[in-house]
Amino acid sequence: MHIVICAKQVIDPDGVNSYALWGQLEVDESGRAFSTELPLIINAYDDQAIEAALRLRDDGHDVTITAISAGGEDVNQLLRHCKAMGCDEIVRVDDPDGPPDAFRTARLLAAAIRDLGDVDLVICGRQSSDYDQGTTPAALAEMLGYAYVTVAFDVRVEGERLRIKRATPLGEEQVLASMPTVVTVSNELGIPRYPTGRGMIQARRHPATVRTPEELGVEDGAGAELLELYIHEVAGECEFIEGDDPAAQAAELLSRLEAEGVL
Amino acid sequence: MSGIIAIVTQPPAEGLTGGDLEALGGAAALAAETGEPLLAAVIGHDVGDPVAEVAERGAERVYVADAEHLAAFSGDAVVDAAAAIVEASEASTVVVGRGSNTLELAPRLGARLGGGCVMGVTETRANAEGGFAVVASVYGGSARAVYRLSATPRVLGLSPGLAPAPEREAGRGAEVVAVDVAAPAEERVVVDQAAEATGPRLEEANVVVSGGRGLQSGDNFALIRELAANLGGLPGASRAIVDEGWAPSEEQVGLTGKIVSPDLYVAAGISGASQHMMGCSTSRVLVGINTDRDAPIFRYARYGINGDALEVLPELIRLTRERAGG
Repeated sequence: MHIVICAKQVIDPDGVNSYALWGQLEVDESGRAFSTELPLIINAYDDQAIEAALRLRDDGHDVTITAISAGGEDVNQLLRHCKAMGCDEIVRVDDPDGPPDAFRTARLLAAAIRDLGDVDLVICGRQSSDYDQGTTPAALAEMLGYAYVTVAFDVRVEGERLRIKRATPLGEEQVLASMPTVVTVSNELGIPRYPTGRGMIQARRHPATVRTPEELGVEDGAGAELLELYIHEVAGECEFIEGDDPAAQAAELLSRLEAEGVL
Repeated sequence: MSGIIAIVTQPPAEGLTGGDLEALGGAAALAAETGEPLLAAVIGHDVGDPVAEVAERGAERVYVADAEHLAAFSGDAVVDAAAAIVEASEASTVVVGRGSNTLELAPRLGARLGGGCVMGVTETRANAEGGFAVVASVYGGSARAVYRLSATPRVLGLSPGLAPAPEREAGRGAEVVAVDVAAPAEERVVVDQAAEATGPRLEEANVVVSGGRGLQSGDNFALIRELAANLGGLPGASRAIVDEGWAPSEEQVGLTGKIVSPDLYVAAGISGASQHMMGCSTSRVLVGINTDRDAPIFRYARYGINGDALEVLPELIRLTRERAGG
């Protein structure tokens, strides 16, 4: 069974969040990126996508796992992490100056997956923590003509199909999906394992296979063009309930809420 | 191409709710902004009442895909139906509200139709210099991105609260166009065990009391449940404590959980990271309880108690129990 993991390198979302809250997040001259220096990490959901694939290996299935990412040389670090986690092969689609357009990324990933040829399952994070769009895996499923299942937290092979547990707003749902399938995983999957020391050593000796959009025959197409990023300000107008002790504060709060008519 | 089409999927016969109303509201606002006609798609089975409601809420033309295979959501079937409708309608812009299946429907439809798709749309700028643009919430709500969507038909997945749905005008009619859609040849994804809706829904609660890491242990989530019950509301949770296993994921409020908009939202021991606030910032009155006076929750809160949730919650529970006469 050949599993592909699609991974994205993102600016640490907790860093962005903290800087934004303290009013120190700034956009650079291009207007489309932050000038604030923040660490680059693997999108956390993508780490869980790798974990989902490794659990299928733990289940005793004969799996080959290929991790793919689109970007410049800076994503080599991310791909080394994927290798160290236990992926067998790592592929970078060389796109150093590609705009952050989900459909473009999906076209690049779809071409690389088609090029691999024998893929049964593509696992992606449910969305990336930078643009929060969640559109790339859906577009990928459409472009490849694969079945599509979102927000999985447990993926098992059952005969010729996959049994997938999904975290829906109503609770757990189980679906059976035919392969090939694109599956997105959610945080309910649980904490991904750490790379082993041996994995990290192997990863250092294992360069990524590089494919170019030209080799893969990827053409330009319509998508969403990022024009500008700006920081979203929140105006505070909080009235603090003071009081001698928690009992007095609680009583005062309840009387305010009654006056507001919400109790 | 002309027309702004709101997509309504598997609507309940008793009336449109949540994301379906948001789709109509967003589409109506965009129709007014562009001067293009307001259209609607209703996809499901036995959808007579919702079709009438969509017409009463101002759609000029309603496209209907009514078939047995559309009774429950199936991505393949609904994307096929929606794509057929959009093509028949020649709409320039497709609007999808926030619902449990939006994450699948909107981007798949966008990829199928080829015009691009933006999710989490908070604002439309249809007449922007350089062409149709939208603003979307990104980086967990910390930032906004402006995207240009030049090609049509484009698909917009809305953030909640973009624009209210037009009021119903009793008896208002619309041109109804039935669109024939065949069931997909193969059912690739089959629901084997459906999620069972048990009890009232968090999204519809008038009061939500949520807890975060400030509860310090999973056992203390009982305080959240008790206060919520005393106030006639439901408990909610931050993602952090869902990941800790202190609360089930169905109770998670936020960007990747539920979006709630109650009259009263109490955030106890929640710092107020923007990812969480995306799930509750449209609440009418928001109360924050946190030991850190600089915590971001107090930027969103109407009332704040700068104190320990573990000390304040028991007092609130005691007083609300007395109020209820218990």
